[in-house]
Amino acid sequence: MRRDQAKAYAEEKGIPIREEHGMLHLVLPLSEFKIHMRAFKEMGFNYLADVIGVDYLDYPEGTSWQHPERFAVIYELVSMPGFRDGDGSRIYPRVYVPEKKPRLASVTDLWPSANFPEREVYDLFGLAFEGHPDLRRILLPEDAEGHPLRKDHPLGETPTLFNDGRYIDPASFRAGLRGKDKGLTGWRGGRRKGERR
Amino acid sequence: MIPEPKELRTEEMLLNMGPQHPSTHGVLRLVVKLAGEEVLDVVPHIGYLHTGFEKTMENRTYHQNITYTPRMDYLHSFAHDLAYALSVEKLLGAEVPERARVIRVILNELSRIASHLIFVATGLLDLGALTPFFYAFREREAILDLFEWVSGQRFHHNYIRIGGLREDLPEEFVPELKKFLDTFDHRVDDYQGLFVGSPIFEGRARGVGVISAEDAIAYGLTGGSLRASGVNYDVRKAYPYCDYETYDFEVPLGERGDTWDRMVVRLEEMRQSARIIRQGLERLEPGPIRDPNPHFSFPPRELLATSMEAVIYHFKLATEGFEVPPGEVYVPTESARGELGYYIVADGGSMPYRVKVRAPSFFNLQALPVAARGQFFQDLVAILASLDPVMGDVDR
Repeated sequence: MRRDQAKAYAEEKGIPIREEHGMLHLVLPLSEFKIHMRAFKEMGFNYLADVIGVDYLDYPEGTSWQHPERFAVIYELVSMPGFRDGDGSRIYPRVYVPEKKPRLASVTDLWPSANFPEREVYDLFGLAFEGHPDLRRILLPEDAEGHPLRKDHPLGETPTLFNDGRYIDPASFRAGLRGKDKGLTGWRGGRRKGERR
Repeated sequence: MIPEPKELRTEEMLLNMGPQHPSTHGVLRLVVKLAGEEVLDVVPHIGYLHTGFEKTMENRTYHQNITYTPRMDYLHSFAHDLAYALSVEKLLGAEVPERARVIRVILNELSRIASHLIFVATGLLDLGALTPFFYAFREREAILDLFEWVSGQRFHHNYIRIGGLREDLPEEFVPELKKFLDTFDHRVDDYQGLFVGSPIFEGRARGVGVISAEDAIAYGLTGGSLRASGVNYDVRKAYPYCDYETYDFEVPLGERGDTWDRMVVRLEEMRQSARIIRQGLERLEPGPIRDPNPHFSFPPRELLATSMEAVIYHFKLATEGFEVPPGEVYVPTESARGELGYYIVADGGSMPYRVKVRAPSFFNLQALPVAARGQFFQDLVAILASLDPVMGDVDR
C-alpha cells in the first residue's frame, strides 16, 4: 500500500504523523514542503482531490490537536484506483503557514488540478501561492475587501428585534453556544454537572 | 468591378459568453478566445452564485446545517445531505440502523436518477433536440413526487438527520416506487433510442471534446466524466459507504472520453441506479430509523406528549445542539457529478469549526479548457453540458 509507504517515508524524514478516523495526517515543514510533496507525487499519489484552508485562530486549547501557526493548508492526495496501479490510498499532508508571512509554494506544477482550489484558498484566506500561474480571486469579486473565511472577518448579521425593544444579538447568542460566554441560555458549553453520558 | 482585397485580415477574437446564457447551465461566465470558429482558449469565471455557505455553516449548529447542505447541488441534493451526515456521524461514532441505511441508499439513487435525467434532457437540448427534454421531465416529475411524499419537499428534502432519518417512509411510498420502477427501464431504452445512433448526435458528439485518462486525472475530474475516459473510479466501489459494497451493480465505462461517451455513461448509470433501488426494496425490513443515543438524536415525536425527559432533550437539542468531539474528518461519497465530501474540523463545541465542501463540479470545470481547445465554438456548448456542472455546487 502506498499509504504505508508514505508513512514509512514520513517516519524516516521525521515528519509528525497523526492517524485518526482512519485518516493519515502528515505535518510537513513549510521550508521543505514542496520537496516532500514531490516525493509523494513520485510515490504514485497521482490525484490531488482537494486543497483545504483552515484558520486556527479561535481553535480552543486543551484538545489533542496542537496548531503551531494560525493557518494550515491541508492537501488530500489520492492514488487513483482504476488507473494504472493505483490502490486507492489517501493521505492528508498539511503545512502550517504563519500569519506574518502568509506565503507558500504552489503545487500546480505537480498536480494541475490544484489551480482552482489554490485560488479559492487565496481568495477566502489570503494565503499567496508562489509559482501559481493565475493567482486571482475566484469566488469573490475582484474588488472585494478582506478574506471572509478568516475567523476575524465579521459575519455581518442584523440583530433580531422583538417587542419592547428587546433583541437577540446573533454574535452573543452564538458565543453562548460555543461556551465562551453566558449567552441567552446561560449555558457555558461543556458538560453540565450531573450529566450522564 | 469590386477590387480584390490585397490580403484577408484575420485576428483573434475574445468573446464573452454568460453569465446569463441559456446553455451555461446557471450563472457561469466563459471568456472564449476564438480564431474564426475554432476555440483557442476558454477561461471560466465563476462565483456568481457564491453564497458563503462554508462561513455560514461555521456559525450554525451541526443540526441546523442540514438546511444548508442540499442547497449547494440542487439537482442531486440528497448526496450533499448524506455526505455531510456521514462526516458528522464518523466524528460522533454514531451507529445508523440498517433500515435507515437502506432508505438512504434508495433515496440517494433515486435522486441520482433525477439528476441524470436533467443532464440528458438539457444536454440534448443544447444540441437542438427538444423532444427528450419533455420525456425526461416526465420521469423526473414522478421522482420529485416520490420525494414530496417522503419528506414534504421536492428539492431540498431536509430528510436526513445525524444518526438516521427524520421519520419513516409513508405507507404509499414503496408501492408507488415499484410502479415507477416497472416502467423506468424501458423508458431509458426509449431515451437511448431518441439520440444514440442518430447521425446528427454522432456528428456533434463523437470525437468531440476528448479528454484523455491522464488529463482527466491531472485536472481533477471525477464521476461520470472521469469514467467516460475509461478510469474505473466510483467511490461507491472504491470507498464504500452505506453498505454499497453489498449491492450488486456495475460501473459503466467509456473508451474515448468524448462527449458521446460522457452522455451514454450517464444513461447506463441510470439503469444501474434502478438496479440498486430494486435490491434496496428487497432489503427493506421494519426497524428503527435513528440511532437511539439521546445526546444527538431527537426523541420520537410521540414520546413528547408523555415523557418530561424527552421534552428536555428535545429542547436542548433544538436550542443548543449537541457537542461533537474534536477532530478532523472527511468521508468521500459519489454524487451524480463525482466525488463529494465534507472535510469537517470539529473543536468540541456544538458548531463545526470549519466545513470544507469538496464539490465535484468545481473541479470538473477545470477540465473544460482542456476539452474545448481546438474544438469548434458550437461544440463548446455540448462539451460544457457533458461535463455536467451545477453552479450551486461550483460556487457554494
